[in-house]
Amino acid sequence: MVNIIFKFFIAISCLLIFRGLLAEPLLDGADFDYGEYLSGQCVTCHQSSSDEGIPAINGAEALYIAEKLMLYKNKELENEVMQLVASALDKEQIASLAIYFNSLEK
Amino acid sequence: MNNLSRRSFVSFALASTSLLAMPAISTGSARPKVVVVGGGAGGATAARYIAKDSKGAIDVTLIEASKHYYTCFYSNLYLGGFRDYDSIGHSYDNLSANHGVNVVHDWAISVDSSARKVRLGSGATVSYDRLVLSPGIDIKYDSIDGYSVEAQTKMPHAWKSGTQVKVLRDQVLNMPKGGTFAMVPPPNPYRCPPGPYERISMVAHILKEKNPTAKIVVIDPKNKFSKQGLFMAGWEKHYPGMVEWIDNDTHGGIKNVNPETMEIETDLDTFKADVACVVPAQRAGAIAMNAGVTDGDWSPIVPASMQTKADGNIYVLGDASVASAMPKSGFSANSQAKVAANHIRGELTDSRVFPAKFSNTCWSLVATNDGIKVGANYKAGDEKIEVVDKFVSKTDEGNAKRKKTYEESIGWYNGITTDMFS
Ligand SMILES: Cc1cc2nc3c(=O)[nH]c(=O)nc-3n(C[C@H](O)[C@H](O)[C@H](O)COP(=O)(O)OP(=O)(O)OC[C@H]3O[C@@H](n4cnc5c(N)ncnc54)[C@H](O)[C@@H]3O)c2cc1C
Repeated sequence: MVNIIFKFFIAISCLLIFRGLLAEPLLDGADFDYGEYLSGQCVTCHQSSSDEGIPAINGAEALYIAEKLMLYKNKELENEVMQLVASALDKEQIASLAIYFNSLEK
Repeated sequence: MNNLSRRSFVSFALASTSLLAMPAISTGSARPKVVVVGGGAGGATAARYIAKDSKGAIDVTLIEASKHYYTCFYSNLYLGGFRDYDSIGHSYDNLSANHGVNVVHDWAISVDSSARKVRLGSGATVSYDRLVLSPGIDIKYDSIDGYSVEAQTKMPHAWKSGTQVKVLRDQVLNMPKGGTFAMVPPPNPYRCPPGPYERISMVAHILKEKNPTAKIVVIDPKNKFSKQGLFMAGWEKHYPGMVEWIDNDTHGGIKNVNPETMEIETDLDTFKADVACVVPAQRAGAIAMNAGVTDGDWSPIVPASMQTKADGNIYVLGDASVASAMPKSGFSANSQAKVAANHIRGELTDSRVFPAKFSNTCWSLVATNDGIKVGANYKAGDEKIEVVDKFVSKTDEGNAKRKKTYEESIGWYNGITTDMFS
């Protein structure tokens, strides 16, 4: 039993460390004010609360936003508009947008 | 928000009620002043962002002739019966209530750029440190022989915000059975490149339902148009045999129109219509001409800031500007407004100025749940706004994708109008 708990603990720790390793670089270099400026491009379409037609992104997890943008940038997620927007963003800009939208109320 | 700006925001918020009650011309504050002429896609966005982001540090006055803004975007969907008219109308109330923008409903008549003053229809003047002009287009009535201001009730262009599109819808609904709808699209460059062809689609949509033997003839002064393959495939699919598009080389040129006889004469033939939508050539709104910031019909701008090449204190946004690769669209105007707002705040309050980033996507509806789109992003070159990357819908992408594209456009409409007016 102790063994199982120990293994479970190790597994969880590995997962957290791994996620941490993944997470940090994605949000590296984030600049809140830059994110606020860049967000102007997003809110032409994304609304603060309604999901009609286009999802609301205010208050979403920063890591989630950054991961999605990277996937669009690498054309691993479909949607021409998002692929276009993301392709023109560098890592620092993606991180900045992620922390900015995360700071907004849902 | 740093402490200083938070404090000035609070005091501004306290003072704003009394400020707003005063006439536009005598705010008398020591704050830097920005005047925005035109509360459309470019102007409303610019006024809102400058006021919102400067948190009261800049005194923003918006001069707009109309009390309500009816968007040209989605006016074709109203025409086709997909929206009601009220749903495309927007008020300016939130701009003053939420951001302290001083909204003045009047015409800007002239600009004295050396004294930095704008004269209004009422005779009052408003002074500025920076002036933003986003007046949209004026119609060149004399660009088509026989067309005139009076002709527009008989042959509406319905290419500016307002009620003409209602006249056009009534005319289409009351067209004789088996009658002819004629469309004369404008020559390049003009507001909303896919707009005339979306309009044709929406008219076809009504006719298919209510008047299926009617015909649509498009007498184009151009030989090609935006999203041409997509539109033409859509017309064949949804409205087979109904739409005939005649390019300039085929008809040889539009010689004149006659609103009395409802005739459109070309080198090839004279076309008789029961209902005609005639959209003449266009130019920048008159106030841009008056301000001396145009070269020919439009205002050349500095791509990095949207300042005019003629006067660094005057910015021109949207349709009135020469934005090179960027089409004259609401999306473009909204995108340019944010670049200008950021630059103006930097100049007036020393806030950070970030590199210009522009984008545009134009959605069009071809038939029920059949949406298409074209888009690009842009960067500020030294001389021109340049395309970085672009896309366009594909002819064979399937119904589910097209439905999604239409739904996405509804999200965009709600998004951009919130971004302008909330
Ligand atoms: C049928 C049609 C469909 C369209 N569909 C789309 C679409 O789907 N997507 C898209 O992005 N774009 C679309 N557009 C284009 C879009 O409407 C314009 O490109 C956009 O409105 C341009 O913004 P603007 O700020 O330059 O001018 P406008 O939005 O026209 O705003 C100008 C404002 O200035 C005011 N004004 C002008 N002169 C003065 C003055 N001297 N004093 C005071 N007020 C003044 C006017 O009253 C007006 O409210 C469409 C256009 C049409 C005609």
